[in-house]
Amino acid sequence: MTLFRQARLIDPASNHDGLGALRVRAGDIVEIADDLQPLDGEDVIDLGGKALAPALIDMRVEAFMSAGGAAGLTATAQAAAAGGVGTILLHAQPGLSRPERFAAIEAAALDCPVNLLPTGVLVDEAGELGEAGLMMRAGAALLSDGGRPIRDAALARRALSYASTFDAWTALRAEDADLAVGTCAHEGDLAMRLGLPARPAAGERLAIERGAVLAELTGAQILFDRVTTAEGLSALRQARARGLEIAATAPVTHLMFNAVDTGAFDARYRLEPPLRDEEDRLALIAALAEGDIDILVSDHRACTGESKAHPFPEAEAGSANLEALLPALCTLAADSRVRLVDALRAVTSTPAQLLGLAQGRLEPGAPADLVAFDPDAPTVYGRSGLSCEASSAFEGRRLTGRVLITMVNGVMIHQPAG
Amino acid sequence: MSRAGFAYDFPHASLLSVGALNPLDVSMVFERANVHFDAGRSGSGHERTLDGIAVINLFFENSTRTLASFEMAAKRLGADVINFAAGAASIAKGESLADTALTLNAMNPDVMVVRHKAAGAADFFAKVTGASVINGGDGAHEHPTQALLDAFTLTRRWGEVGGKRVCIVGDILHSRVARSNVSLLNLLNAEVRLCGPATLLPADADRWGVQVFHDLDEAIEGCDAVMALRIQKERMGPGLIPSDREYAAIYGLNHARLEHAAPDCLVMHPGPMNRGVEIDGALADDPDRAVILEQVEAGVAIRMAVLELLTGRAPNARYQDGMEDGA
Repeated sequence: MTLFRQARLIDPASNHDGLGALRVRAGDIVEIADDLQPLDGEDVIDLGGKALAPALIDMRVEAFMSAGGAAGLTATAQAAAAGGVGTILLHAQPGLSRPERFAAIEAAALDCPVNLLPTGVLVDEAGELGEAGLMMRAGAALLSDGGRPIRDAALARRALSYASTFDAWTALRAEDADLAVGTCAHEGDLAMRLGLPARPAAGERLAIERGAVLAELTGAQILFDRVTTAEGLSALRQARARGLEIAATAPVTHLMFNAVDTGAFDARYRLEPPLRDEEDRLALIAALAEGDIDILVSDHRACTGESKAHPFPEAEAGSANLEALLPALCTLAADSRVRLVDALRAVTSTPAQLLGLAQGRLEPGAPADLVAFDPDAPTVYGRSGLSCEASSAFEGRRLTGRVLITMVNGVMIHQPAG
Repeated sequence: MSRAGFAYDFPHASLLSVGALNPLDVSMVFERANVHFDAGRSGSGHERTLDGIAVINLFFENSTRTLASFEMAAKRLGADVINFAAGAASIAKGESLADTALTLNAMNPDVMVVRHKAAGAADFFAKVTGASVINGGDGAHEHPTQALLDAFTLTRRWGEVGGKRVCIVGDILHSRVARSNVSLLNLLNAEVRLCGPATLLPADADRWGVQVFHDLDEAIEGCDAVMALRIQKERMGPGLIPSDREYAAIYGLNHARLEHAAPDCLVMHPGPMNRGVEIDGALADDPDRAVILEQVEAGVAIRMAVLELLTGRAPNARYQDGMEDGA
């Protein structure tokens, strides 16, 4: 039993942000009030006004069952715990179109400090339809195109139509495959000057408009995976105006950085999708504040030093972001770009609602997945040690906000050293 | 008030992009290149200023001209030169670029000249090794010695490039030569025009401090020099231009086209040429117009100057001004 007192309780689901106390018993939140008196044998944590919110739900994390090191499941789960993330959706990886493979993830989840949910691949690399029904039964939280845009409109239609049979959300990459081929940068002033092969923002818009049409045709629920441009956002708004069941994610990196951060070919900023223009970044932040971006993802991908040690176009795309996600949101709030409660909604109650999860809210009866953090603590990413040492776009960046405690199902999985 | 003496040492150990140079750097390169150019023409021989200097030419992309030019420049000045070409053993064995860089750097060369298909490769090499690197062409990014030799060729003809109108025609999008030339010509206050079909022009090229044209006759109007770029089928994706003959008809340089240009308009080409495509053979061979072979000649002189200045071996590595009176 644990009692949090003097906590700034932030519950995005009820739009609540105020001082109070919260009691945890047997893995659940049992009581919330302005103040609560400790019971016998209860651990009392006085947060002294620091924040307590639902642990984050990160809908896009890459980790590999077969990999050791930073890209492995264990290391990734630890990084999540250190970042205040209580639930991670393993992004589709090869083989996850076979329900048999889900058993291994289920087994791994038993040993995992955070909740681990797989994403099923709806269309595999060979262009075959995955066993969506069996995958959903085996515990897939979401279906996806595996991050590979489906080129063939007829196949996309069939896949979405099939997914709608099971009332499943399908994540579609917001990118036109052909416009993106062979590119590593955003088509803008900087990439053109640097001579980097680049893709236009229009590719994102095309994909979203096409996806919206397919949603109309099939009645599928589409989650646009990683919207990063102002053009994409405007396509998204137009599609929403037609009353479709669509939602969109944005990677946290693209709310913090723009193409100029790439500087003179810094491979840490080689991301997929590529970093965009400053106006895109500002549009994404505004979209988060207004709710046009439903969900934020870390888009965590641990690239080893080796895979980044190439010239920019040849370096592996990706960045380790799990431990930067919450501080990044606090930083945006500290800069008055967005209210903290609104930013948190995109990583707690909204993904929970979309996936039908019980966690992601502060409410008696909900699982005690919690994060305590100091939203005002100045930090330098990486200075006080990291759980995941892989290359990160956040390396050396000044942020505001520090994770203090992460709790999942009432178990403390991360707490300050000493 | 006495005029303070001004001394300036050539500050660069690497030449990765034109953007790092200021006009004084460029004039120091040109001054030294002039000496070499004249010596080369007169056959009077060069001082062995690079005696004891080791240069590695590392060409991950096929090249004969640029490689030969760097090799000639280094050897003429007495440097020891090793050429390490694409397809050589270690690359075929799958060694990473970083390992290749570190391995060769461990042999303590004084300068490495790097050509690679990826934009930023020369920067990467310099970052990994901390060594002195000359960018011999990295993807569509930069080819700084080409731009220097082009501007040097024009400077020798005109006295200075500032105020002149220069048009670059062709595949600007995939051209490192164009990017370096735009930077350098802008730095030297020339008026730069770019011309090509929309598929071969970068988006936002009008933000480069240049005028962008699709019509060659308009672009060439009043130009003091026109540079045709090679149509590089191997670097372009499919479907950027429909055919050679269409390109030749619409963007090919020939004598008739030059009637719109300034009377003594010079014609340039970085080579190798596709005669009959981007440039008419008769024009390429016209000694009154074409300075194409002069560009090649200038290339060796420029690379000599650059090698000397980067290694601190140039006699004029310090620029001094206002020191004449008893300083």
